[in-house]
Amino acid sequence: MTPILAQTSWLIPLYPLMGALLTIPWSPAMIRRTGPRPAGYINIVMTALALTHSLLAFLAFWGKSSPQFFFAPWLNVAGLNLTIPLEASAITLGACVLITTLNLLAQLYAVGYLEMDWGWGRFFAMMALFEAGLCALVLCNSLLFAYMLLEILTLGTYLLVGFWYNQSLVVTGARDAFLTKRVGDLVLLMGVLAIYPLAHTWDFRELAAWAQTANVDPGLITLISIGLIAGPMSKCAQFPLHLWLDEAMEGPLPSTILRNAVVVTTGVWVLVELEPVIALSSTASAFAIAVGTVTAIGATLISAAQIDVKRVLSYLSSAYMGLMFIAVGAHQPGAALLLALVYALGMAALVMGAGSIIINITTQDLTQMGGLWGRRPVTALAMMVGAAGLVALPPLGGFWAMLSLVSGLWDSDRGLLVAIVLLVNWLTAFSLARLIGLIFAGKTQQMTIRAPEPLWLIVLPMAIVAGFTLHLPLVMAQLHLLPAWAEVSQDMALLLTWSSILGAAVGTLLYVNRVVEHPAGLVKKPLQNLLAYDFYTPKLYRNTFVLGVDMLSRLTDWLDRYVVDGVVNAVGLASLFSGETLKYGNTGQLQFYVLTISLGVALLGVLMNWHALTALF
Amino acid sequence: MLTPLLLIPLVGAIAIGFWPGLTGKQARTGALVVSALPLLWTIWLFIQFDLSFGGFQFHEFLPWLPALGLNYELSLDGLSLLMVALNSLITWIAIWSSAPDIERPRLFYSLLLLVSAGVAGAFVAQNLMLFFLLYEIELVPLYLLIAIWGGEKKAYAATKFLLYTALSGALMLAGFLGTVWLTGAKDFTYYAVMGHELPMVWQVVLLGLLLVAFGIKIPLVPFHTWLPDTYVSASTPVAMMLGGVLAKLGTYGLFRFGLGLFPDAWAELSPYLAVWAAVSVLYGAITAIAQKDIKRMVAYSSIGHMGYVLLGGAAMTDLALTGAVSQMVSHGIILAILFHLVGVIEAKVGTRELDVLNGLMNPVRGLPMVSALLVLGGMASAGIPGLVGFVTEFLVFQGSYAVYPVQTLLGVIGTGLTAVYFVILLNRTCFGKLDNAIAYFPKVTFSEKLPAYVLASLILFLGIQPNWLVKWGEPTASAMLAAIPIAIDTVVADEVIEALPPAVDPSEALPTEPVLVPVASLPSLP
Repeated sequence: MTPILAQTSWLIPLYPLMGALLTIPWSPAMIRRTGPRPAGYINIVMTALALTHSLLAFLAFWGKSSPQFFFAPWLNVAGLNLTIPLEASAITLGACVLITTLNLLAQLYAVGYLEMDWGWGRFFAMMALFEAGLCALVLCNSLLFAYMLLEILTLGTYLLVGFWYNQSLVVTGARDAFLTKRVGDLVLLMGVLAIYPLAHTWDFRELAAWAQTANVDPGLITLISIGLIAGPMSKCAQFPLHLWLDEAMEGPLPSTILRNAVVVTTGVWVLVELEPVIALSSTASAFAIAVGTVTAIGATLISAAQIDVKRVLSYLSSAYMGLMFIAVGAHQPGAALLLALVYALGMAALVMGAGSIIINITTQDLTQMGGLWGRRPVTALAMMVGAAGLVALPPLGGFWAMLSLVSGLWDSDRGLLVAIVLLVNWLTAFSLARLIGLIFAGKTQQMTIRAPEPLWLIVLPMAIVAGFTLHLPLVMAQLHLLPAWAEVSQDMALLLTWSSILGAAVGTLLYVNRVVEHPAGLVKKPLQNLLAYDFYTPKLYRNTFVLGVDMLSRLTDWLDRYVVDGVVNAVGLASLFSGETLKYGNTGQLQFYVLTISLGVALLGVLMNWHALTALF
Repeated sequence: MLTPLLLIPLVGAIAIGFWPGLTGKQARTGALVVSALPLLWTIWLFIQFDLSFGGFQFHEFLPWLPALGLNYELSLDGLSLLMVALNSLITWIAIWSSAPDIERPRLFYSLLLLVSAGVAGAFVAQNLMLFFLLYEIELVPLYLLIAIWGGEKKAYAATKFLLYTALSGALMLAGFLGTVWLTGAKDFTYYAVMGHELPMVWQVVLLGLLLVAFGIKIPLVPFHTWLPDTYVSASTPVAMMLGGVLAKLGTYGLFRFGLGLFPDAWAELSPYLAVWAAVSVLYGAITAIAQKDIKRMVAYSSIGHMGYVLLGGAAMTDLALTGAVSQMVSHGIILAILFHLVGVIEAKVGTRELDVLNGLMNPVRGLPMVSALLVLGGMASAGIPGLVGFVTEFLVFQGSYAVYPVQTLLGVIGTGLTAVYFVILLNRTCFGKLDNAIAYFPKVTFSEKLPAYVLASLILFLGIQPNWLVKWGEPTASAMLAAIPIAIDTVVADEVIEALPPAVDPSEALPTEPVLVPVASLPSLP
């Protein structure tokens, strides 16, 4: 049984795809009698099938070093032979397990969260599309097809964020998400086009092999590598392409679980696969590190200044993606993947917790929350577990992932980056402590007086994810992902632990114990605004790119109407006008016509005999 | 083999026009039947077509006016085949999507069939003069179609279209006459690489004439200003024909006669052509962003997308030319679905203004299915993978990047800008809040959605299974480039091209003497 499942692991993306297609009868006006709910149930079953399949296939591959490759022919034209290479290995199938698990939980959560919604068919179809796209992306072993999947997911983001399309913020959020991701995708496409003439392949493994011996123009490869980094930058919401993630929070929350936990990490996945190519150019690696650093520090600072619970989490997502960028830039792809794994579970628990709060206190404003500890203990515990799993707090997963990153950085003499990771970890711990403190500690307010735990469909998936987060170290030990105790750099472990504890302690003192009346007052107003308004990036965008494209389009439109078309119309008018004018020459007098004819004949005669005439004189 | 493509619609047009006592409904049914026959015939041609042979097939010859060098000579290769198929398909779809209660239905349908016959003939004509005649003949019915059934400013638009295209025809005639006279050919039969022996100056002049002539028809910036006016004024089926099929006459002519007759001059000018293509792409896309009328926006998007075709042609690689040929088909399909949907929206909602439209995705009182299809069409146009637009644009980019990297990257930016205006369009029309006070739209019937379903399934199917599209054009594209007598390596000297397995044996591809093979002497396949 299991070998068959391993050999057919290319089927995994097809289950959710099938589920997505099966929702079609429930799209408006086809099946009305049942309501849209069956669409959701079908997809949950399909996801469960995909999960079972990938789990069994994963177990079959675990411990065996040799991955298995599948090839599907796609397009063969004019010497360009495009075959879809799929790689089934412990890592790729493990990623599939993670994706399908989280999607299954997110879909169960959605059954509770979107109970009253009429758009189930659309929602579950989109979730299934994402699951299919993500599974295909991790299984697929080619840069070109990875790019294509990323583009399809960009469209998916647009449709999923725009799910509640009659709200204006949703519409702009969907637009910004789509356009920002598309910009990244197209720069990635440029990189995809440009690397082929050099490497003659898009296969990740062959690219890595090529990069070992490649001898290329350093300027060109730097440009290409930066192009290849740009796509993941927009996916991972890195500065300056980070705005969309925060706006995308306008979409339905169950989709946010999937997006913030795994969709954003697609960029990291591609980046990890491309790491050997990026390593060819030290400038590009430095670029990845710089982008990651700016994002990690900037986004954690911003997240600590937000009063919207979803925004706090979205900026933390950007920050963690920044850490993964640093890992890839510093040639530690393994650490990046490990971080992505622990991040996915921790963030899923946090987002699910946030949703569980929002659904029955109907506000996202942290300043209106407080005192929920007694009323919402399960949610509180789940969020605390998620937070603990995210930051470097032993013995949970975040600690081990951060440790592997920091040790690697230290071993490669990058002390500054170690300091940056510690700082980001400190800030994250602070920000999460602030978040949890503001929600659960303090006095109850008007909005939080009546706030029981919601439906079990919301609580159960949340508790399961929290449980997974707690058990992650055991799973990691089982999979030999933890270092032996003797190899652990104890200095680094201590530093990391202390940075988390200090951050959490400061946050707790300020927001739980309230040692200061108004903790926000500790920071000067301009700085506070700078962080609260996201370094004014939205304004910056509006005044540069958006304004530029808008002005340019108006200008060309004006040119088109009045200059290019104006010339044409002027020629038309001129001919009409000259015709109108010349018609008054028709006097009806014979003498006038004869005179015109004879003058014309004379002129023609002179012209035709010009040679003879010039010879004469 | 090929005459039915012309003859069936022609006879049908006459019959529908003059059959005594035909009602409007009968005329419509008749037109649908008549236009379905060439479509079936095209399918049969696809079955009979020999893929292993890149040259002309199904040759037909009938002396007409031999004294003038004008003969009725038809033949078809992969490029023509795809264009003929596009014409047959879009004609049928356009007739289907005409309003059932259209005024003067008999005249309308017979003119539409006449256009289809003329275009089909132009795509298979093997005689320069015959091509010119058919190219000019379709102008008359089109003028009437725009001037009688058009929207506002229809007379202005129709006249502008007529004048522009007549100018294009005159320039083309000058080019053809010059070619035939200067090369000393005995008639107007089309020979590949005919102009090779002319001095370069003459080649460039003649090619220049053809470039402007077909540049007007495609259209390319700055010869494009007839397009937005005409497309917007024309009724939906006519706009579908104009954008989906007629524009392809321009690119077809460019490849068949520009690249085909004057490959040396084409190679000489190709860097400028690539720049021209990039400018057209960017200009079309940027101008589309500023439009407030969705039909006008789609019209400008057409300008941008036709630029990719020129880019593929300018690159002169097998891959890019195959991509360009396929792009012609995918552009035709996508533009047709967009015009159809815009037409449905206009008919139901009563406006095309971006600032007025809102919330059509609403499942109860909006037009949900039309909106969903519009999303699909817009995204196909913006080049989202999985849909046909991506495949063809990607082939063009991949084929031309090695030759013209900068222009190709500008083209990629163009697809980004395409996404910008389609997101504006979708956000304003489909998304947003439907105003319940005005939302009493008539129901969209299945019959009104059918054309969009057909086109959408083609977009999806060919996007997922692109082999079905590209394999027809590929041998012809290779053959067209292989027929070029000069060593094109000088232009495309890049390791990619060398690394690719040559489609044709180089010793055959680069004969020392230019080959002037009259088509009639080629082996004609059954």
